[in-house]
Amino acid sequence: MEKDGRPNWDSPMQFVLACVSYAVGLGNVWRFPYLCQLHGGGGFLIPYLIMLLLEGLPLFYMELAIGQKMRLGSIGAWTSISPYLGGLGLASVVTSVYLCLYYNVINAWSFWYLFHSFQSVLPWAVCPINSNRTGPTEECEVATPTQYFFYRETLNISSSIEENGGIHTGQALCLVLAWAITYLFIVRGVKSTGKVVYFTATFPYLVLFIYLIRGVTLHGAINGLKYMFTPKMAELANPRAWINAATQIFFSLGLGFGSLIAFASYNQHNNNFQNQAIVVSLINSGTSIFASIVTFAIYGFKATLNYENCLDRMRLLLLNTFDLAEDAISMDSVLEWTEKLNTTYPEQFAQIADKVREGECNLEKELDTAVEGTGLAFIVYSEAIKNMPLPQLWSVLYFFMLLLLGMGSMLGNVTAIITPLRDFKIMSRMSNELFSGLVCVFCLLLGLGFTTTSGNYWFTIFNDYAATFSLLFIVLIEVIAVSYIYGIKRFEKDIEDMLGHRPNWYWKIMWAVTSPLLLIGLFIFYIINYIQGGTPTYQAWNKELVSSPKDQSPSAIQQESVLLLQY
Amino acid sequence: MLEKILLLLSLSLSVAEGLCKPGVGEAYKVRFSIKTALGDQAYPWNKNEMFLFRAALAFAMRDFTNGEEFGVSDIHPCNETQRVSFWFVVTRPKTMDLVDKGTVEMAIKKSRNRINGAFLLTDKTLEFDGIYPTLAAPVSPDTPPWLIVFGVVMGAVSVGIIALLVYPLVQRKLKKNMDADDEDSDEETGVKTAENGANDGIYNSTFSDDERFTQM
Repeated sequence: MEKDGRPNWDSPMQFVLACVSYAVGLGNVWRFPYLCQLHGGGGFLIPYLIMLLLEGLPLFYMELAIGQKMRLGSIGAWTSISPYLGGLGLASVVTSVYLCLYYNVINAWSFWYLFHSFQSVLPWAVCPINSNRTGPTEECEVATPTQYFFYRETLNISSSIEENGGIHTGQALCLVLAWAITYLFIVRGVKSTGKVVYFTATFPYLVLFIYLIRGVTLHGAINGLKYMFTPKMAELANPRAWINAATQIFFSLGLGFGSLIAFASYNQHNNNFQNQAIVVSLINSGTSIFASIVTFAIYGFKATLNYENCLDRMRLLLLNTFDLAEDAISMDSVLEWTEKLNTTYPEQFAQIADKVREGECNLEKELDTAVEGTGLAFIVYSEAIKNMPLPQLWSVLYFFMLLLLGMGSMLGNVTAIITPLRDFKIMSRMSNELFSGLVCVFCLLLGLGFTTTSGNYWFTIFNDYAATFSLLFIVLIEVIAVSYIYGIKRFEKDIEDMLGHRPNWYWKIMWAVTSPLLLIGLFIFYIINYIQGGTPTYQAWNKELVSSPKDQSPSAIQQESVLLLQY
Repeated sequence: MLEKILLLLSLSLSVAEGLCKPGVGEAYKVRFSIKTALGDQAYPWNKNEMFLFRAALAFAMRDFTNGEEFGVSDIHPCNETQRVSFWFVVTRPKTMDLVDKGTVEMAIKKSRNRINGAFLLTDKTLEFDGIYPTLAAPVSPDTPPWLIVFGVVMGAVSVGIIALLVYPLVQRKLKKNMDADDEDSDEETGVKTAENGANDGIYNSTFSDDERFTQM
């Protein structure tokens, strides 16, 4: 019997799917495979799973318990625990606002790519022709067509963060669409969100499965898979591997934003969130591993393709310089012919020696180019897709999946803002729809800043600084508050009240001892890293060189990042 | 007489061969990649193919110069290699004067497609060293296709939002109308009851419908 008339999920399944949809996001696809490659392939799973047990599961459980018990958003929930902790909830809300501002821009990019997939030739497959019609545009010739499409046509990027151009209208339109869809999904609160998550949580797995089959059947995929799965156990001795595992688990589960508290606050009082917490965390980690198999198959395909193209270029160069018959050199014999020709015609070879050295083909080197983030999702994957047969189909499927992953996470982010604010009496006088609409419009208007020509640089700043540091701090305070201020005993009783049994010793030790220690360790590490890093730098796109040298961030930006950190 | 003609012919031939020197003067290098282009259906390179090339080039010169009677004998190839690449020079008809590089280039550029077609090759597989192909102009549709897809999706989303916002309002209105009808019919019967009751004795408010209204 609901005295306060708080809406509920239609079924516990909706809650689980909402959590899965929120936790399984873009990070699973573009951050975990990178870390896996960086830290010795299969061996990285060991620190990853250990960290899941030591911090991921207990903290996830804790946030769900708080939300379900207090039946309020993050601000109200923490204020109930202790009146002094209201700021903690507020910090969560502010971090969620930052996240909402820039996260939907990624969805806008996904929409842009998705809409551009409906063409006979994918626009990132070929370079546009210059005005003389003699060849491709200069900028595109030095870079690759996929890079050109992302940096020039999608972002229209300027050369530094200080140069502000106008707003890219196409991007702005896509951002409006992204926010419109977000509003559509949350307008009715959990009633609408609950129905949407059936789709956003399950469809990405279908696409991943299709891509898995497609990926492993691609030529050269096996190279990538071998590269990923050969564990380099020596990496486990590197403390960075453990730190990266800890941070990845932490951010991947979306702790500290208040979304989990918000979702759980709509649960029935006796909902068995313990099993649900375990299920969702395991699904999240499982998806990361699944996604990296797919990613590495694609990597292998792309690396093998580049390697073979390189060999072909070498072959043509040798054929043309030495005027040999076309079928004299095959792809396999390029290297031995290079040797032979070097010894038999040294002067002639010397003329092309530079080109040969530059274009040296190395499969390992191709596989070593580890990429993460937007570079992986929008450049590397697009490049692989354009080489597949029937690229339009694969492109549509892939960007649709990215959209679902991103939208699913957005649902959680926006709910984390709306739920705690609606708990205040002032706001609840406004109708649900109007309030949600205002939040969406507010975030949209501020987010338009990221669609300007220097928008990507601001995006990178937000991505690197807005949520990382402050979240660690928030969750650290959370776990200390629950374990020591609220008290483990009281917390135990509340859980017994909801579930019918007390949490066993594993959970209690994690909350009281292990997780706080781990978080303090991570926190100290981040501070040391930040101080040692000197003036923050960022990578700018140089139109002429088409490279990204690191530029010094101007002081305004440094202040901005400190400001973001202080929250 | 015969000997004089023979002498002249051999002289001209040797002069012609002297004209074509790789890398010097007005000579161009051409490269065929037949196996790359045609794979299994590649034709072997022989004297007949060379004749076709000379004929195609003579056609290109005629077409460009609008009628100057270039013939097969005005195209002089030399230094043929296994790659199937060779140098050639073009001379004016009935003379040994070399045609300058610029004119040859423009002639080839004009008839590039025809020459490619004669050999079933493309700009990439039949290369003239130093003559860059003019690429096809990009096709730009009036409305970019992405905008069309965007419009469809945006329209669908807007309809969805409006539907979700308007539906409960419509439902509430319908409910109000239904309730208003019920109230009207009850009002009439209530009034009748009150009237009947008031005439008979004490007005018993239990049977009046006022309570129903206030509770609403």
